[in-house]
Amino acid sequence: MTKVAYYKGCLASLSAKELDTSTQALAPKLGLELDELESVTCCGAGDIHEAEPDYYLHLNARILAYGAATGAETLMTICNVCTLNLRQANFQLLNDPELRARVNDNLATVGVPPYEQDIEVKHLLWLIVEDDGAKRLREVAHRGLKGLKVAPFYGCQILRPSKLLGFEDPDRPWSLETIIEACGGEAIDYPAKIKCCGFPIIQAREEVAMGELIQPIEQASEAGADAMVTPCPLCHLSLDAWQSKLKAATGHDFNMPILHLSQLVGVAAGLEESELKFKRHVVSVDPVVEKLEV
Amino acid sequence: MQVALKIWRYDPDSGDRDLRDYEVDAPEWVTLLDVLDLIKDQVDGTLAYRKSCRMMICGSCGMRMDGRAVLACKERMRPIVDRGHVPVISAMGNLPIVKDLVVDMDPFWSKIRRMKPWLDPGYDEPSEKERIVSQQQMNVIHKEALCIMCGCCVSECNSMEADPEFFGPAALAKGFRFVGDARDQTAVERLEDYNDEHGIWDCTRCYFCNERCPKGVDPRDAIAKLGAESVKEGIDRDMGAKHAKWFVKSAETTGWLRETELVPKTQGIVSAVKQTKFAIGLAKHGKVPPPGPVHVAADVGESRALRNLVREQGRDGALGIVQGERALARIERTDEGSARRDVPEVTPNEEPPPAEG
Repeated sequence: MTKVAYYKGCLASLSAKELDTSTQALAPKLGLELDELESVTCCGAGDIHEAEPDYYLHLNARILAYGAATGAETLMTICNVCTLNLRQANFQLLNDPELRARVNDNLATVGVPPYEQDIEVKHLLWLIVEDDGAKRLREVAHRGLKGLKVAPFYGCQILRPSKLLGFEDPDRPWSLETIIEACGGEAIDYPAKIKCCGFPIIQAREEVAMGELIQPIEQASEAGADAMVTPCPLCHLSLDAWQSKLKAATGHDFNMPILHLSQLVGVAAGLEESELKFKRHVVSVDPVVEKLEV
Repeated sequence: MQVALKIWRYDPDSGDRDLRDYEVDAPEWVTLLDVLDLIKDQVDGTLAYRKSCRMMICGSCGMRMDGRAVLACKERMRPIVDRGHVPVISAMGNLPIVKDLVVDMDPFWSKIRRMKPWLDPGYDEPSEKERIVSQQQMNVIHKEALCIMCGCCVSECNSMEADPEFFGPAALAKGFRFVGDARDQTAVERLEDYNDEHGIWDCTRCYFCNERCPKGVDPRDAIAKLGAESVKEGIDRDMGAKHAKWFVKSAETTGWLRETELVPKTQGIVSAVKQTKFAIGLAKHGKVPPPGPVHVAADVGESRALRNLVREQGRDGALGIVQGERALARIERTDEGSARRDVPEVTPNEEPPPAEG
């Protein structure tokens, strides 16, 4: 077992609780011991970075400090946006001793342990596939995904900017495909898998966001996907919950089930509905479950 | 060495599109632009593309290689040939194609012009012989001043695909170049103007612009700086600004996002009520946490104290982003991000370029 500091972020605590339960149930099967961080807050989701960036840096430094205090070498995220926000802050602190000293002084002033021991921020997606993870996964995914055509949807902030993320080629990523295939499913290819789901502006500019959202759903649907999988709960929310609005706007009912990464691997590894919580999705996942039961 | 390319040709007279194969013998040091020159010289004189300086400073030769916007003069061909790869070359996206690899830059320039890209020092004439601007002051706009206006960032802008009127990454980065300039006296007027429906808050944070920029401008970061300056100046009428401010409020009160209140706080009560039917649909699946005891993070008082503390330290607005740039510049000089290019198999993107207009 490898101990990691587990930062679940806002959505997995609230509207995407199914992401948290499936992650918690899956982790031991992957050899991960989760040390869940309690005294932490939202990473700011890019919004605090845009409204009060100095506060954003300090909030994330505080999360990193509590993560490092667990003694783990890795802080595990399950959201693209948390991943970018934390990695960006971490790079700034690790590469600028003066900045880190100032932030640490401020943390100490309000009673937070300083961020001294370095910690690396990694998304669950990377922890699954790194170090020959596909081989490990083939053993874990005993139930498999036989006959299931899955469209990988990466979203933005796990690929770009690659100088801060850098796990794989941002234009030709391979991690989700590797996972789908190691679990016994068939990975569907389509151009919009690396594009934006529109979520960051879905409230402030709904029409623009829907113009982005329709591309991956439409392309995955045309390519014959039974379901889409994403490593990001924000992408999940727009792909899943806003499909009804796409239907109202276009007259086309895509009826595309959307799975969190931990649910896709989880179902292949034989997790129960009480852990997967597919019932919490807006678009029914029943067709996927039925296909796997045949 | 033998260099092979596939090029999407477009004939404006007939409207024909065609993916054609080309191969030329070229020295090992050639760039993509050199290869295009050889093709035009030796194989097909009708091939159209823009070029001028050949040294990454004029910004003329933006085009797509395997679907990625690049400067043709910056891309060395040797590693691509060594992999046995034949790249697909096409015109940039989000701009109408004039012929082959040439796009109409008029919409690009009109958006740049819209930003009033000149210094407005007001009536504050310098009392001395010259006005000294410190290095520290220039550092604030250093990255944005590097822009060569090639359009690579605009090519793949996801917001602009959905809203062609979006000012876009190049224009907004140009806007910050003036908002952040110590000599300009019109920052507030500029921010008011850039808070347009198609301005700052229309950016979807897809980060394609940062990924594509061949000069390290990081336009998305420039847009965030404009957002931070707007909030600092109290220009927060846009729903995007209200949305961003609600995250600050959440972080300092409960720690976690107060999700249920996000819609009314962003859109206002009237618009939020119109969303009721949609919200009820989501609530059935537990997607809308019920109002009532909100999820409060442990030790959230620390988060509130931190905000109060940093607000007194004067690094508000864009300075909060600028302070991290020294560190981020350091990682660009390391191998940290370069491993991503070592993927052995590359599938050429043969998706045709978008239709004209």
